[in-house]
Amino acid sequence: MSRFEERLLTALKEDLAARPAPVRARTRRVPRPVVAVTGAAAAATAGFLVYGGAGSPAFAVTTDPDGAVKVRIDEFRDPGALEGELAKAGIKAVVDYLPAGRICKSPRGETARGGGRLEVGVGGEGGGITFRVGKGQIARDHTLVLAVSRDADAPGKAPAATSLEIVKGAVTPCEPVAPPAAPPRGGDGAGGAQEREGDGPGTTEREDDDSGGRGPGIRQDTDGSGTQERTEDGTAPGGGPATRENRTGATVHSGS
Amino acid sequence: MRFDESSAAFEAFYRRNFEAVLRFVTRRVDDPHLAGDLTADVFLAALDSAHTYRPGRGSEIAWLYGVARNVVSARRRRDAREARASGRIAGRRLMDDDDVGRMEERIDAERGMREALAAMQALPEGERAVLELVAVDQLTVAEAAAALGIRAVTARVRLHRARKALQRFVPPSAVFTEEMEGTA
Repeated sequence: MSRFEERLLTALKEDLAARPAPVRARTRRVPRPVVAVTGAAAAATAGFLVYGGAGSPAFAVTTDPDGAVKVRIDEFRDPGALEGELAKAGIKAVVDYLPAGRICKSPRGETARGGGRLEVGVGGEGGGITFRVGKGQIARDHTLVLAVSRDADAPGKAPAATSLEIVKGAVTPCEPVAPPAAPPRGGDGAGGAQEREGDGPGTTEREDDDSGGRGPGIRQDTDGSGTQERTEDGTAPGGGPATRENRTGATVHSGS
Repeated sequence: MRFDESSAAFEAFYRRNFEAVLRFVTRRVDDPHLAGDLTADVFLAALDSAHTYRPGRGSEIAWLYGVARNVVSARRRRDAREARASGRIAGRRLMDDDDVGRMEERIDAERGMREALAAMQALPEGERAVLELVAVDQLTVAEAAAALGIRAVTARVRLHRARKALQRFVPPSAVFTEEMEGTA
């Protein structure tokens, strides 16, 4: 096959050289809003991405036509920027990223009632999370309070613990504390102080808004392997490189 | 991934993946000239969409197989309408008689795989795509998921269903223990 291989290489190189540089180097690298990542490409009207050193977005806040705000966090860094973007989307938020062995002391304030459920999921193949706040779900005097315990050296890894709740009125600043000891589990010595997913005793006040009419608070504790309480949409592509669009070879993500 | 600044980067990519692309193609078509065209088309498409490759999201080969799948299925759709479509580079014109002969040998060698793929056509598209990449192209489940843009857990579920369903059509060994080595 060697001659064909060589001739094809030559032809491809010629094709490559004949391409106008700006087209292939710049315009195609403009990233789409994260909607392509969350699988709701057609729905979103506004998007914002924050880039870190590696060129990949740390998080994205998008607003759907129905007013719902979708948040996808791929890397748990720069909480201030996330707060700022949420504010632009009309959501007052307090975001804290803590070391893996620490959680914020509860309670952070008065839990808001009756706001409906927040949809929370563990995002894609990375360790990120996604959640969606419906229009009007967070009232003017409410604050979205997010606390994530993660390994600061690996901001893209799945968090050890995630707490997402809606607080009415004043929010107590995060006071990092050790989480309550998890019930002993055989064969798992990793991260001794971390919360574990499970129904056993010892987990902190786990809000269960499935019981209807209770607060929208959610406490999500994962074991770092993608366990989740609730997914937004089990069929969402969730961040893989191929979306509906690039299945046909079109532009979707920027690479670097 | 960017090739535009140096053709050396592209050449390295091409050398790394030429065999894999050829294998992918000859497992799916039995005409040597068409195989040549498709090989060219796959690399052209890879050039066109190199910016969609994100190293953190999966291996290069998984991404490239995703591209190759699109190319081959697009070509099949087109062939339904017209006998011959022309890409920017007509791969078949780059092949001399020896090349065609070698391509035919490869195509013969991949017969078992093509038959397995044919048996898989009866599966639902989503399941078939995963099984194809894992069982035939030897990607890991995670790589196949990356190539298809789905969650790894979704890929695993689909793979399980596909394998179960396929047992009714062909003995598992025909699909899962086939010799995978290329004939390079």
